[in-house]
Amino acid sequence: MYPITDEHIDFVLRDLDANGVKTPDLQQNLLDHLCILAERDLEEGDDFYAYYRAVIHSFYREELAEIEAETMFLLRHRRRLLLLSRGQFLCGLFIVFIGPFIACDSLCFLRTGRLPVEVWGGTLVFLQFPFLVWLVVALTPERFDPLLPRGSKVLLGWRPFISIL
Amino acid sequence: MVYSSELIKGTLKTIILKLLADNKKMYGYEITQRVKEVSADRIQITEGALYPTLHAMEADGLVTTEVEYIGKRMRKYYSLSPAGKAATRERVKELSAFMQTMALLLDIQPKTA
Repeated sequence: MYPITDEHIDFVLRDLDANGVKTPDLQQNLLDHLCILAERDLEEGDDFYAYYRAVIHSFYREELAEIEAETMFLLRHRRRLLLLSRGQFLCGLFIVFIGPFIACDSLCFLRTGRLPVEVWGGTLVFLQFPFLVWLVVALTPERFDPLLPRGSKVLLGWRPFISIL
Repeated sequence: MVYSSELIKGTLKTIILKLLADNKKMYGYEITQRVKEVSADRIQITEGALYPTLHAMEADGLVTTEVEYIGKRMRKYYSLSPAGKAATRERVKELSAFMQTMALLLDIQPKTA
């Protein structure tokens, strides 16, 4: 295996930086990739620098800075969403919409010792909303939308913030 | 025949997610080699496409990383986060449905032995 020295590493990092790859994480990834290729392809005594100059061209189309630009582009255009599983989403939905009603019912029962119909009736009415959303999620065939159906996202008004995985 | 980069670009994230789901943790070079091996050299992921995608996936919370030092250099291992596991299932399902739709659209008959 070809011995990679600290001088080789410093040279590669300097060259990547000078050619527009500024993100340290990206530099380290490319450095490791290059070193593995060199260890695989070179024999002891071969010229690492000549090999580097030949191989680095296969990493980009026109210039090295493309890799940095592509990374920044992907980071800028990534979906800044809260990622939840369907189970987490539905639990959250029930807790947010029904939790206060359950708490109110319990408080009322503890204070008066009885639960009037208008109290538990209200809970039952508001229970319909998350239940309907659950029904839409459960019954929508995946061929139409593998994620949460768009209609229910609009219905919730949370479409821009939540992506259901 | 090597597939064009335009075709691969749209599926790169799904490929990486599925590989990580099957192999627990991998580093960049390992991913490129595994893809070449499984696709019989028909899919060649370039470094210029792979690392920006991995970087974005890390920022999205789809993958978690572990670092190993080899002398002065650093090797980054990627593995799926819980969100990444859920995303893998959905993306593979979506791509599979997409391929079926394309087969219908382009009137491609499945090859018979």
